[in-house]
Amino acid sequence: MLKKSVLLLALAGLSLSALAAELRVMTHSSFSLPKDRIAEFEKQNGVKLSIVKGGDAGEMLNKLILTRANPIADVVYGIDNTLIAKASAAGILAPTSSKLGRTEKDAQLPGAVAVDYGYVTLNYDKTWFAKAELPLPATLDDLAKPAYKDLLVVQNPATSSTGLAFLLATIADRGEDGAFKWWEKVRDNGLKVSKGWSEAYYTDFSRNGGSRPIVVSYATSPAAEVFYSKEKISESPTANLLLKGGVFLQVEGVALLTGGKEPQAAQAFVDFLRSEGVQTGLQTKMWMYPAVAGTAIDPVFAHAQKPAKFSNPSLAAMNSKTAAWVSRWNRLVVKQAN
Amino acid sequence: MNRSLTLPALLPLAFLLLMVAAPLARLLQEGHAGFSLALLQDSYIQWRLAWSVGQALATCALALLIGLPLAWVLARFDFAGRRLLLRMLMLPFVMPTLVAGMGVLALFGPHGVAGVNLQDTPWLLLYGNLFYNLPLLVRAGVDGLEQVPASRLAVARTLGAPPWRTFWRVEWPVVRPWLASALCLIFLYCFAGFGLALLLGGQRYATVEVEIYTLVAYELNLADAGVLALLALGVGAAVALAYAALERGLARPQRLAPTLRTPAQGWPQRLLLASALTVLALCCLLPLLAIVWRALQADATVWAMLAEPEVLAALGNTLRFSGAALGLSLLLGLCHGWAAQRWLALRALVFLPFMVSPVCLAFGLLLLYPQYSASVGLLIAAYALLAYPFVAKGVLSAAAALPPQLPQAARTLGATPWRSFCRVSLPLMRPALRRGLAFAAATAVGEFAVSLFLSRPEWATLTTLIYQHLGRPGAANLQLALLLSCLLMLFALLAFVVIEWPEKNHARAD
Repeated sequence: MLKKSVLLLALAGLSLSALAAELRVMTHSSFSLPKDRIAEFEKQNGVKLSIVKGGDAGEMLNKLILTRANPIADVVYGIDNTLIAKASAAGILAPTSSKLGRTEKDAQLPGAVAVDYGYVTLNYDKTWFAKAELPLPATLDDLAKPAYKDLLVVQNPATSSTGLAFLLATIADRGEDGAFKWWEKVRDNGLKVSKGWSEAYYTDFSRNGGSRPIVVSYATSPAAEVFYSKEKISESPTANLLLKGGVFLQVEGVALLTGGKEPQAAQAFVDFLRSEGVQTGLQTKMWMYPAVAGTAIDPVFAHAQKPAKFSNPSLAAMNSKTAAWVSRWNRLVVKQAN
Repeated sequence: MNRSLTLPALLPLAFLLLMVAAPLARLLQEGHAGFSLALLQDSYIQWRLAWSVGQALATCALALLIGLPLAWVLARFDFAGRRLLLRMLMLPFVMPTLVAGMGVLALFGPHGVAGVNLQDTPWLLLYGNLFYNLPLLVRAGVDGLEQVPASRLAVARTLGAPPWRTFWRVEWPVVRPWLASALCLIFLYCFAGFGLALLLGGQRYATVEVEIYTLVAYELNLADAGVLALLALGVGAAVALAYAALERGLARPQRLAPTLRTPAQGWPQRLLLASALTVLALCCLLPLLAIVWRALQADATVWAMLAEPEVLAALGNTLRFSGAALGLSLLLGLCHGWAAQRWLALRALVFLPFMVSPVCLAFGLLLLYPQYSASVGLLIAAYALLAYPFVAKGVLSAAAALPPQLPQAARTLGATPWRSFCRVSLPLMRPALRRGLAFAAATAVGEFAVSLFLSRPEWATLTTLIYQHLGRPGAANLQLALLLSCLLMLFALLAFVVIEWPEKNHARAD
């Protein structure tokens, strides 16, 4: 009898511990991986992955900072180079490393383990420019000229990470005052500001019924256009407009959270994101380049280009000045645009 | 009598305390050290505040001006498809903002059917506000005008009163409380407006809520956000209290022989009906039609994607979450609406969920209940929070119109208050309750502000899925998003028809 109940207790304990092995992963809302990869990870490591989406990256980070006394996750994916210094300064990240793979030269992210990277830049509508018989702008300054009036749509950096990235690129290239002088000029040249990427791309971009043939997007967007085309097309209807001072390198990473549970499983998850399966799988799911050097690149990425140059402010500057820059930008560009 | 009102009040009060007051207080506490009124001296902030109030008032005025005549026509004339039209009027509520914007731009955008580009003009901004808010006013107006006792109209006519005087002296006093509550709601929605108006009119028309969102979600500047949120709450509370006082002073029990509708006769009446329907379609239904029209052009491969497991799962989630939220809303709304008959403050509190900045609420809940932040329970509670005011509002209006003699008679015959409520008052309120539920369902399916809360991939609803696809480039993503929007409309319309299924013994009520 006693034996039996001890056995039962032990069994109950076992099943409880099996239930308790849950790894809480906080991600931004664009996180997406092939389902079978996630199932594979859960099976191999005997944990249940509980993925929680916390809005876009900036919103997600602030949610983590606010709840640092009672961490709501064990590991976070999606903090990028615009946010990493803020995250580190807030003390929410535990030291994280991965022995898996060598990181690409561009994809460095001190304070976290890099998973993927990409470039925020201008895209243009090929058909529109062909029809208008207008040469492509050769510099950002061209966009302030009358010939290019009412052609550009950007996202508000206060509500969009692509908008923020583009603003940061202009500041890194021209210095703060120079950049804001340029913004003032393009504002007066009919700049359109939209809330987020989706609004800009699907209501303002001329390719989708809007009136603006130039939009702030990703350098991989032309490849995604081919991938998600209705009938399989061989050439993208959009292309990159890689102008000096208009390209921002974005690196996204994964890190353990201070006070998180299941450190072993969390480390396994970090390594999992660096594994070959995920590094190849993420490309056509999240439209970013794999951070691990030597990973095979999906053939559809031939429709995208990797910019040779980009302009990023220092990580420290992005931490200390971004809020002021965004506020100044809104006061200059949005309020005065009547 | 008093006890029978106190007890039901406890449930919604506890709910509001846990879901609104405590989280907001927690967020304010987090930022209170830095509170400074200097922010309010900033001309930029002043401008945002003034604009928020101004455009909300303008929309209210416009909705009343256009909506009341439409409501009158819909309440007085019978025509084929009238009931379906009233249900369809709630569809704008369900549409994700971005999709609604695409529908409007398909009409009045750079390549719109109308041939004029109104994008980034104040006209489209007002249009966007009307698209969402006109249905609220029209439905409230129809409900109110249907309560006008037929005998009084007949007397007025017999005495030779011209139609405008009949309206002013007989119909207007009856419909006023209904309009007051709709206008209050429209003001609160527009004041905190975040979506369509901005998308269509441009970022320079941002309301103060956009400022609060940026301060909280991006800058984590809880001090300034707290000051602004309190200020916004103050404005909202003032409006809600004014409405509550107005409605309480106006509500009169009506007799149970409401005015009957007649088919339009003669060409002046037919013309009136036709023009009313045209305006209504132009303001509320055309953008939806544009979406359907664009979606129908989708390729066969995209149609086939509708059968994918993720779509079916999303449909299941939409059904589950809105169903659960509706159940909770019914309970909360009944209690709150019934109890609020006596207390002015409780009446104003019906609108509390719409007065509080959604982003402050989301972050406050996260601070207060971190362990439950990604739980289904909290998610459903959030849905219900934004949906139940409609039920409460319906109960409140219906309760005010109840003839007091009937429950009194029941009590005299020995029925307990509970029994009298269940057997007499509740059946009489049922049509209003169903209308409230339909609006609550629209809110739940439309997911106002719920995107601010934590979410899990396995919770993806149709709305989430639509936004996911609109988060990636490519024609297939766009087409699938449009098709999913049609599916969402179809689902919602079905829900509205079922919820407001006409009862046999209330054949006249809608």
